[in-house]
Amino acid sequence: MGAGGGDGGVPHGAWLAALAEAVARWRWQDVAKLREAGSERLGEAAVADAIRVAAGFNGITRVADAIGIRLDAHTASASATLRAQTGIDEFAPPRKWR
Amino acid sequence: MPPAGSQPLPMAADAGAAHAAAVRAIAAPGAWWSGADRLAIAAETRAAPACGRCLQDPMSLPGDAPACERSGAGVLPPAAVDAIHGIRNHSGRLTRGWFDRLIDMGLPVEAYVELVAIVASTVIVDTYALGLGHPPPALPRAVPGRRSLERSGAVADAGAWLPLAAEGRAHILRSLGLVPSASALFFSTFEPCYYMREGRAFAIAEPQVELVASRVSAVNECFY
Repeated sequence: MGAGGGDGGVPHGAWLAALAEAVARWRWQDVAKLREAGSERLGEAAVADAIRVAAGFNGITRVADAIGIRLDAHTASASATLRAQTGIDEFAPPRKWR
Repeated sequence: MPPAGSQPLPMAADAGAAHAAAVRAIAAPGAWWSGADRLAIAAETRAAPACGRCLQDPMSLPGDAPACERSGAGVLPPAAVDAIHGIRNHSGRLTRGWFDRLIDMGLPVEAYVELVAIVASTVIVDTYALGLGHPPPALPRAVPGRRSLERSGAVADAGAWLPLAAEGRAHILRSLGLVPSASALFFSTFEPCYYMREGRAFAIAEPQVELVASRVSAVNECFY
């Protein structure tokens, strides 16, 4: 389900990336600190929605990896730029399907 | 549990309702697992991070010796426990060989699909609650009833470890199609978390949504 690092050139990208990583790693103390800092800067609704998206992708990545799906043409096309920027194909070693 | 002293944020109404419905659905009889089994899968998903074996040897997959530690539920077969711990604790390193071993241990493919949906739905529900600073929702009592033994005939080989739904563009949307009720459970849980329907909007802009999504995917070492 994609990959990335840094701030991606988007507003508050570094903070969003840090929050996403803390959520995905279940580091709740870090999440609490980021949540409070982010609420002051972006507002509670923005923080809550960032957590909502992170939660969803914490689940759907597990479905993708547990079913062993391959990249389809539709998703490959939609994520071509992102894949080129981040090298996420490295997360698809051949042994995954052997 | 969320850290003490931090101020929780309110849940969005649609996400809160969808996730409450998911928890209720998990407690009901499914296609290949009873309501009690499905609750045990959710409970084991919550207990898996504390598995001593997974903590001590994070680079080997459940199924390698020694066996994973079970939580108190104790009603699930060893293959199911290995599957749950693998999906919860090591999802980025799962392989076809690991999956084949679970099936060789006697876990029906359809039961595996349903288990994946329950584990991933539980992960979403709990991650959202804990991320906002709330405790995970309590698991309800199991609803008695019979399994449906549902298996879709509208499936196709798309190069995955198991058949996917025959129709659909993106493989992820087809991934749980072998057991349609499992697919419905998962995607109804995921739906409030991304652009799954026309008009979905978040309080952060789309590039910010994509950044969060891609960062979580990278942490989880997911290529898709």
